[in-house]
Amino acid sequence: MADRNAKVLLEVDGLTKYFNTPRGPLHAVDGVSFTIEQGKTLGIVGESGCGKSTTGRAIIKLLEPTSGRIVFDGEDITHYSRSKMRKKRTEMTMIFQDPFSSLDPRQSVMQLISEPIREHRLLTSKEQIARRTLELMDTVGLARRFVNSYPHELDGGRRQRIGIARALAVDPKLIVCDEPVSALDVSIQAQILNLLKQLQKDIGLTYIFITHDLSVVKYFSDDIAVMYLGQMVEKAPSDDLFAAPMHPYTQALLSAIPIPVVGGQKKERQLIRGEITSPVNLPDQCRFLKRCDACQEKCASSPNPQLREVAPGHFVACHCV
Amino acid sequence: MNDNILEIKDLVVHFETDDGVVRAINGLDISIGREKTLGLVGETGAGKTTTALSVLNLVPNPPGKIKSGTIKIDGKDVLTMSDAELENMRGNDVAMIFQDPMTALNPVMTVGDQIAESIELHQHLSGKEAFEKAKELLKLVGIAENRAYDYPHQFSGGMRQRAVIAIALACEPKLLLADEPTTALDVTIQAQVLALMKELIERRHMSMLLITHDLGVVAETCDDVAVMYAGRIVEIGTADEVFNATSHPYTEGLFNSLPNLHERGEELIPIKGLMPDPMDLPKGCTFAPRCAYATPACEGKVPALRPMGGTHYVACDAYDDPNFRLRRNQNG
Amino acid sequence: MNQTSSVEILKKYRGRSMAQETFRRLIKNRGAIIGACFLLFLIVVAVLSEFVFDYDTQIIGMNPLALYAAPGPEHIFGCDNMGRDIMARICYGARYSLSIGIGSVAIGLCFGIILGSLAGFYGGVIDNLVMRANDILYAIPNIMIAVVVVSILGTSPSSLLFSLCISAASSFTRITRAAVMQIRGREFIESAYAMGLPTWKVILRHIIPNCLSPIIVQMTLAVGTNIISASSLSFLGVGIPVPLPEWGAMLSDGRAYIRSAPWMCIFPGLAIMLTVLALNLMGDGLRDALDPKLKK
Repeated sequence: MADRNAKVLLEVDGLTKYFNTPRGPLHAVDGVSFTIEQGKTLGIVGESGCGKSTTGRAIIKLLEPTSGRIVFDGEDITHYSRSKMRKKRTEMTMIFQDPFSSLDPRQSVMQLISEPIREHRLLTSKEQIARRTLELMDTVGLARRFVNSYPHELDGGRRQRIGIARALAVDPKLIVCDEPVSALDVSIQAQILNLLKQLQKDIGLTYIFITHDLSVVKYFSDDIAVMYLGQMVEKAPSDDLFAAPMHPYTQALLSAIPIPVVGGQKKERQLIRGEITSPVNLPDQCRFLKRCDACQEKCASSPNPQLREVAPGHFVACHCV
Repeated sequence: MNDNILEIKDLVVHFETDDGVVRAINGLDISIGREKTLGLVGETGAGKTTTALSVLNLVPNPPGKIKSGTIKIDGKDVLTMSDAELENMRGNDVAMIFQDPMTALNPVMTVGDQIAESIELHQHLSGKEAFEKAKELLKLVGIAENRAYDYPHQFSGGMRQRAVIAIALACEPKLLLADEPTTALDVTIQAQVLALMKELIERRHMSMLLITHDLGVVAETCDDVAVMYAGRIVEIGTADEVFNATSHPYTEGLFNSLPNLHERGEELIPIKGLMPDPMDLPKGCTFAPRCAYATPACEGKVPALRPMGGTHYVACDAYDDPNFRLRRNQNG
Repeated sequence: MNQTSSVEILKKYRGRSMAQETFRRLIKNRGAIIGACFLLFLIVVAVLSEFVFDYDTQIIGMNPLALYAAPGPEHIFGCDNMGRDIMARICYGARYSLSIGIGSVAIGLCFGIILGSLAGFYGGVIDNLVMRANDILYAIPNIMIAVVVVSILGTSPSSLLFSLCISAASSFTRITRAAVMQIRGREFIESAYAMGLPTWKVILRHIIPNCLSPIIVQMTLAVGTNIISASSLSFLGVGIPVPLPEWGAMLSDGRAYIRSAPWMCIFPGLAIMLTVLALNLMGDGLRDALDPKLKK
């Protein structure tokens, strides 16, 4: 499937992040592995508490991984110290979910966008910094008259554009997008998604796109990884995943999306019962066991299933597939 | 006329703040038939929540003010009711479900007590009987009876919303106002809660006003749909009419903005620009500045709802031209 | 986009900065303006009194001709038991009250911000150490601490200043810690890390500026409380030593003559009250002005 000439930008192998809680270790991320090629998008999908945000943060080492290996652009950054990592921050940046709390309310748009440039001394003269800031504002479609405005004077869509401009300011190779549109209205959502896609086309950015909204990732991603309770349960090229979802959880997730179509043949909805269980003190069994309809006897007695390739490029972690 | 449980006519609600007048609702007409579900669709700031609060006469005053209009529930005008009548109406005739189930529940009371409280208040049952009824209601919404003794923080998000629904159902209201009831929930849980609500409404012969920004949720749940923009209804009709014979440019824009599950890769067509500032609404048609079909004439006057056949109405003056069709409807 | 225009463009769209916006809101608040005017007046008086009055003769010297003179055209506020003009002494005394009030808060603020941000930001052991020490200080009345300090170091303006710093520092530590803990969890702090800022810059550039509003408000209020504390201590005889015209000491002096020469108590008391009132008015005004609609 993979283009042989494409260069692998990020390789994550067995990434694990536990948090210590009074009741025992919380398995936020448990052995996640994947690779992303330059210029591609990996969508990470899952419900709240599945560890998708923690994965994103551990990759760019905002959180220290418990174990595993992260190779970025041929460099093993897993054990980079904070100060060594700081230099890498020009190559990997992040766009945050909440455009209301991810911008310092006391800084103007100019200060916000130019902060990464000033911090990394990419440009030094005032004139150059101002010019670059205005260029970035043009790139993300933010009118120049807002250059001295403060975030609270702007609406959610514009704020998210500031967040994107900040992420772009250092010319990164990889951007981790953590639910970048879920706090926005549909019409604004479409504007931001188009912008991100256009940027990818123009400057060859690589995205990790974290979201709970399957319809958004389908539009956006080349590959999709579905996470459940800290583990990847299915990973496949976007089209394959939607055409033939194999893991019972992916199937349920897809079927749960309300489709804005009235009339025509309605597909039978497949509701899964129960809710996500606590990721503390997990037994060594399939983690979806208690909610799964396809569950068979062997599932309860076998250890936690691992990802295996069932079709070219299509990985599933399920005993029953 | 009496086949409608809720009738809102020409409602105008303003918020008079220090900085200016926020025109939240500017002449709104909707009605909901018995045992029907109306989906009220719109984006942030369209006035959806204010509409629901107006029905309960709960618009925070000051700064909010219902300037004119009538809201009739079962033929009685809410805006002329006495305080006692209002208290009786809220809960007994109309109940509301809020978006955030955590803030809608009292954190220091057990869930069972909270449901029982509402029953005690409106149905004059003893405390013990009310608590028994509360347990039944919990079972009805799919929560084990013994969880009645738990506090809200011991519940997960989906269970909290189920508990909120149980409270709303406690007094068997005729009309349920649901303000983004599933927005805070995960998709799989959202599907469970929606299925539950649909089933309960059918079984108890209730009507519902479902406020949402999610066209998918509307398609799954509602009989009728009203699309709201800047405090007015721009399109209203049955779900089939609005989804399959979309007539207002804004509704078309909403559909085009949605990433399609079936096709991938093509660019989304967003609505250009932003929601207008409700303190400074554009003249004439409020959607005109963002509209792909706008002509100078659109700035002239506010378009009235015009019939499009059946129960389908749309507020767009482009239909003065009998040949006008939205792009969506042009081929086929 | 030619070379010269970018900075020009920035200038063209220059709006009101956040400080200007705060100032604009502040001057709309009548109470704050009255308070600020009074304080300004007091500062001018305190500075000028040095040149207008002669310290040895008018402030501490005895004047047998005017013993207990009632307020009148010659001595507007009257004279005390030594015949000293009360108005002159109050004007001169403003120097002590203001400098002790402001000085103790300023020093306390420095320690408070440092300790509070460390405790709030790092949590854990540091937080425990700082906050438990703080709890101990909180459990002892401020006046008691001051009495102990003064009795060890002797009565002098500087030991009074030092003793008042301690309580100011502990209240600033508390406020800063609470504010830092609240800001620390916000996404823009994570965003600053993701951009590669080192911790000290994150604290200095993003956390402290966002904690400033409660701290500034507390500052004005704390100056008022410390002026009262200083006066109380002087009143008790452990503050500013006797001949110096500190307001609390004057009040204490006048206590014995409250029936025969009530003005000896009334005017220093009024001076304390008005100053603290002015500070509180300003504090309230600042709180309203600084409450930016940033939160939502």
